Amino acid sequence: MKALRLIWILTQKDLRIEYRSRQAFLTTLFFALLILIVFNFAFDPGDEAIRAAAPGILWVSLLFPGVIQLNRSFQAEREEGTLHGLILAPVDRGVLFLGKFLANWLLLTLVDLLILGAFVVFYNLSFSTRLLWILLLLVLVGAVFSSVGTLFAAMVSGIRTRDVLLPILLFPILVPIVIAAVNATRELLGSGELEFLHQWVKLLVVSDVVFLAGSFLLFDFVVED
Amino acid sequence: MSVVTANPELRIAARWLGLSGWLQWPTYVLLVVALYGAFLYAPTERVMGEVQRIFYFHVGAAFGAFLAFFVVFIAGIGYLRTRRVFWDQMAAASVEVGVLFTTIVLTTGPLWAKPVWNTWFPWGDPRVMTTLVLWLIYMAYLILRSSLPEGERKYKFCAVFGIIGFIDVPIVYMSTRWWRTIHPVVITSSGANLEPRMSQALLVAVAACALVLVVLILLRSAMRLNALVAERLAQEVQDRRRVAQ
Repeated sequence: MKALRLIWILTQKDLRIEYRSRQAFLTTLFFALLILIVFNFAFDPGDEAIRAAAPGILWVSLLFPGVIQLNRSFQAEREEGTLHGLILAPVDRGVLFLGKFLANWLLLTLVDLLILGAFVVFYNLSFSTRLLWILLLLVLVGAVFSSVGTLFAAMVSGIRTRDVLLPILLFPILVPIVIAAVNATRELLGSGELEFLHQWVKLLVVSDVVFLAGSFLLFDFVVED
Repeated sequence: MSVVTANPELRIAARWLGLSGWLQWPTYVLLVVALYGAFLYAPTERVMGEVQRIFYFHVGAAFGAFLAFFVVFIAGIGYLRTRRVFWDQMAAASVEVGVLFTTIVLTTGPLWAKPVWNTWFPWGDPRVMTTLVLWLIYMAYLILRSSLPEGERKYKFCAVFGIIGFIDVPIVYMSTRWWRTIHPVVITSSGANLEPRMSQALLVAVAACALVLVVLILLRSAMRLNALVAERLAQEVQDRRRVAQ
């Protein structure tokens, strides 16, 4: 299908640009690592407090850097004015959205994967199949984050206060996603049976579908000019 | 060309003002009935006592808050499809009134919660969480609005945000419901076992709050539309002066 090919071309473009400088990727990664570490200092060194908060710490460490990465993803379009070029191209706006969404999703998931690695080291976790489940959560949450995030990032790319505005817009929308992710992670890191995991995964999948569809449909209105 | 034909929003604003004008009378009546219902007609709750009476307007305000958000959703779609400004002004007015109602819910809630459950803010209760997130989304909408200069771009972006926010609300509710089944909180389920006099009072209170919401949204939307036209006319006068010089 021509559209799929176009989407992949756009994704490759963004990934290639990012690969050349690696700036957004590295700063995002470092920022996430920093938050992870600072949180550990913020709690008492006693085992209990940190282990109880660990799932939350993981996901909060991923949220803020993710927002920075989203804003950076439109930086080229903003500074070089290439957004006009993209719009003038004979492609459906939806294709533009999916290309950006996919690039953001992939970059985000890569960062998340590395931070998960650091997390495993810091909290002395063992490599088990449960970690694979957390990986799935990262992918699913990354999809929601990237879909609504790309839509909103396009919206705020022209606004001066975009760095603080994007979290203000995005985080309230993502509250249920965070709840699902943290609770699922808590179950996975615990020693008990996995009772509710399937429920949370279901919620994440539904959110993925709903928000991807919504953002895809609404992207048109955000880039017209 | 008359000012009125050049600015169709004026007719729309006048219509809304007229509508709110006659709608206010049944609203006042219903409010008085609701007050009577909540404070005199409804019996005192056995366990919680008199403080429970706040519940009638607490629920009423909550219903209004969510209804206002539904208006934001519809108005957002309306604007994106027709690009007519009155949709956007109605959305903005609904957000403003909706924030008011949501703030009322979030203040009457703790006032009720503290004497009854000995906690100002019951984290984990699905309705509380959903209302809190609603408040956050409302606030984000207002902040977005104030960050953008007037114009079609602003109206489009706010419409998009309103739509995404609305489809998020049921997801928030579902997630907090499941969260609660994992961490049960000591919450009584009010509304399930109400005495008939209580449910009657509740119904009237909710209806009264809904009417108040409608009247306020109509008024505020009309105000915003008129202000918009006034701004437009002032700009035109300025432009003409500049040309004439």
